[in-house]
Amino acid sequence: MRAPLIAAAIAAVFGFGAGVSQAADYPSKEIQGIIQWGAGGSTDTVMRAVTPKAEDVLGGSIVLQNVTGGVGAIGLNQVANSDADGYTLLMGAENPLLYKVMGLGQKDYSDFVPINILARGTPILVARPDAPYDDYASMMAYIKQHPNEVKFGSTGPGGVPSVVTAMIENVEGKLPVTFVPYDGDGPALTALQGKAIDVMPAVLGAAIEGVKAGKMKPIAVFSTDKVEQLPDVKPITEADEKYGKFLPWGPFFGIFAPKGTPDDAVATLQDAFKQAADQDSFKQLMDNRGFILMNVSGKEAEDFMAKWQSNTTWLLQDAGLTKKSPEEFGIAKP
Amino acid sequence: MTSNTTRRPGELAFTLFLAVVSLFLLWTAFGISGFEALSSPGAVPMATTFAMLATALIVAVKTARRPAAADEKLGRDVLPPLVFVFALFLLAYALLLKPLGFLPTSALFLVGSVKILSGRGWGFAVGVSALSLLVIYVLFRIVFTVLMPAGIVPEGEILQALRGLFGAGR
Amino acid sequence: METLAAFFTVWADPKLFALVAVGTFAGIYIGAIPGLSVTMAVSILISFTFSWDVNPAIALMIGIFMGGVYGGSRTAILLNIPGAPSAIATALDGYPMAQRGEAGEAIGITTVMSFIGGFAGIIVLAVAAPVVSDFALSFQPRDYMLLAVLGLLLVGSLASGSLVKGIFAGALGLMLGTVGMDPLTFTERFTFEIPLLQSGISFIAVMIGLFGVSEALTQLHQIDKAAVRQSIDRIVPSWSTVRKHLPLSMQTSAIGVFIGALPGTGGDIAALLAYDHAKRVTRNPERAFGDGAIEGLVAPETANNAAVGGAFIPMMTLGIPGDAVTAIMIGALFIHGLNPGPMLMVEKPDMFWFIVGALVLANFCMLLFGLTGIRLFVKIVEMPRAVMVPLILLLSVVGAYAVNNSITDVYWMLGFGVFGYFLKLYGYPLGPIILGVILSRLLDDNWRRAIISERESLPAFFHGLVTSPLSLVLFLSVIFIFVSQTPLWKRWRRGRTGPARPPAEPGEPEDATLS
Repeated sequence: MRAPLIAAAIAAVFGFGAGVSQAADYPSKEIQGIIQWGAGGSTDTVMRAVTPKAEDVLGGSIVLQNVTGGVGAIGLNQVANSDADGYTLLMGAENPLLYKVMGLGQKDYSDFVPINILARGTPILVARPDAPYDDYASMMAYIKQHPNEVKFGSTGPGGVPSVVTAMIENVEGKLPVTFVPYDGDGPALTALQGKAIDVMPAVLGAAIEGVKAGKMKPIAVFSTDKVEQLPDVKPITEADEKYGKFLPWGPFFGIFAPKGTPDDAVATLQDAFKQAADQDSFKQLMDNRGFILMNVSGKEAEDFMAKWQSNTTWLLQDAGLTKKSPEEFGIAKP
Repeated sequence: MTSNTTRRPGELAFTLFLAVVSLFLLWTAFGISGFEALSSPGAVPMATTFAMLATALIVAVKTARRPAAADEKLGRDVLPPLVFVFALFLLAYALLLKPLGFLPTSALFLVGSVKILSGRGWGFAVGVSALSLLVIYVLFRIVFTVLMPAGIVPEGEILQALRGLFGAGR
Repeated sequence: METLAAFFTVWADPKLFALVAVGTFAGIYIGAIPGLSVTMAVSILISFTFSWDVNPAIALMIGIFMGGVYGGSRTAILLNIPGAPSAIATALDGYPMAQRGEAGEAIGITTVMSFIGGFAGIIVLAVAAPVVSDFALSFQPRDYMLLAVLGLLLVGSLASGSLVKGIFAGALGLMLGTVGMDPLTFTERFTFEIPLLQSGISFIAVMIGLFGVSEALTQLHQIDKAAVRQSIDRIVPSWSTVRKHLPLSMQTSAIGVFIGALPGTGGDIAALLAYDHAKRVTRNPERAFGDGAIEGLVAPETANNAAVGGAFIPMMTLGIPGDAVTAIMIGALFIHGLNPGPMLMVEKPDMFWFIVGALVLANFCMLLFGLTGIRLFVKIVEMPRAVMVPLILLLSVVGAYAVNNSITDVYWMLGFGVFGYFLKLYGYPLGPIILGVILSRLLDDNWRRAIISERESLPAFFHGLVTSPLSLVLFLSVIFIFVSQTPLWKRWRRGRTGPARPPAEPGEPEDATLS
């Protein structure tokens, strides 16, 4: 422990931020960071890990709060409706880009300025260790021989599993499997290890340790190349090249400010989070959790999101999972 | 607190109110997904609201059969003026919390209610309120960074200024 | 030898020792204040301890966890407002004791029992973690659902006056738990197109309203009555008292560890199930349950502290959180460069023994801080009601707001406060409402998962129920507990003279859960 106890106690009383060292106008008060997801989730962990360093650079404090519910829409709307003065930030994941087509809300990231898109994940298809198939081809054969018997975990429309499943159905046609719903990939992977479900499309980071320990059987990673964390797992394009058109795809984390936030505040924030995401400990954390560091902002981030939204919404639309067509919102077909 | 042989003032009306609400909720639950499937999102809500309606009706029938309590009055034993006043206080608090902010609203509420309840001087009421509010504020707002609605008080700027002083001194 | 060294790391290093102690002390107060939760404190610590090494960060979190789970009992006993959901059952018998002036004794026995429960949990964690976690993993959705049904049967224990009113309250709670956007299908339930209702009704807000505000309003009836003088001579319970309750405390600790180890259930459900268990096995309590029975304190307090050790079992062996707090601690381990998962115990056994050591220390700290400083705490209830009632109301508002930083929760809390006041007045038990809300998701989600897994076929569902040994045992327990409640009920009714009540509906709780 580097900080002596007394200093820690004093810091606790006066809030956790460091003292102001710069005389800049922004930030002149503490910044509120709204995390879309609950404490302990991966968005929460990532944001709480990146924030302390950004606070140092900013010379102000960022108060993090979890505002959960409505698949993250409650938190998003709260930030969107707050004053665009740079003192309220949204710390979110990819889901808002699907709100409109899923009928979950009228707002998405087009109402925000991206401060930083930190990292993106890679999906992986895992099965329970004693499943009677070892790779993608034998799994598909088994599913077709035993219609509706194989249980796939799902996390509701718009979640990572639903998108991955839509990709598979796009390539293979309708899957004759039973979808068992869970409220997150953590609980679903737990259920997989307890044999309550057979197959789960999850984020790589959530499955790495289970796969390494032989508690889950990897079927394929949803990328065009092998991933360094699990070098023995085949990429999905090796099984079927048709998947190439969807990839790379993955969930992502980002920090956003409401549209209309003053440019200098946006620039200050972008710089602070850029430096924060660039520190080694954060890079290490992302690597361990199987995320690919992006650390992009501005035009690059906007382009990334536009492409992501167009690909994903149309994929879901074709799979019949949307409530409204992406066309209604002017989302171009890829 | 309750007697099993007599009916308290307002009890029957309350029970009927519960029954009507249950019926409405059952209807709403049916609207979620109807009898679509055993696993539909509306299945458990329908079962629970049905149980609510059934039990509320049983209670209503039992309550109606009992004689009214002779020695109790609505305005004294069920809703004494003080409780009524406090219910209004809470309503006012809820309405003012957002526009006025946490600190002024709570101060008004505390001073007002301590004054009414204790029957002692203003000094006592203000002193006790200020002390309690300070403790709660430091604990929740500063240590646990719960951002209560700031309303008309520029809390953020004041705290930042304090931190600035503190940081400069270090 | 290395194991031993890792175990004693925290004892030998004064800094770590101090952090565990400070954490436990702070935890007791965090737990005692409704609205401040261990989950909240630990997640703030993630950023706060970011630049620290992993050991001090974890030491502080463990202290807060242990202290916080215990601290919830304080306000439950003194004010009838559980500081945390896991202390709901503690209020049932603790508050009647405080009303008699026996708050000191109640806190004393609670502290010792929490210590015993905490210790039992740690021992199971240390010696049997892999076995327990394998067993916990084997729970299927069907079994979780049966567990929820088992919990719901508690309505029979909690409904002190009228069983029908108790069932109504339980069903109301279950219904409240389903309000909002369904987490499995994103269907809106009972939202009436109001966006604010999408995120559901925070159950902490309901709890604070039903217990805190309605209690404060009820106290207005007797605002002029002086507060009860508390006797604080007998704080540390006598050895004979402890020994008398030792068998029960072992049983309820076992319940606590196991429920804590199940991913998806935590100390709150453990405490309630333990309370029910105590009520069934205690033949002749000195005082009736609900009226200040010591057993009513022993059971939930051993169980919720045993659940702490339990929650670490899946976390340490599999990297699966046992509850909300361990979920955040897994995040903390990640941030500090460890990879919690099945390999952690193989690659870094030191971490495991360090955590066990810290838990043991935290448990001792809890005993020490718990038994000292009671005097000051007890003085709180001797405050004049004119000051206490407004303070409870204010604290309820802040607490409800703090849970999810939502002003809507404050409105709900106040609404349920007034509603709860009337429910209480007309003899509806409030306990079953909270029970229903706590169990709602467990029941609803797992019922749907179970029936979906059987492809919507009820015969297949029952076939699975009787062919899996675990499900069968749970199913038989449900039936046994259910039936054992009925004759008692009849005997009680026969024993009464005066106007007959219509017979209760024995099928009701089953209908409410299985249809």
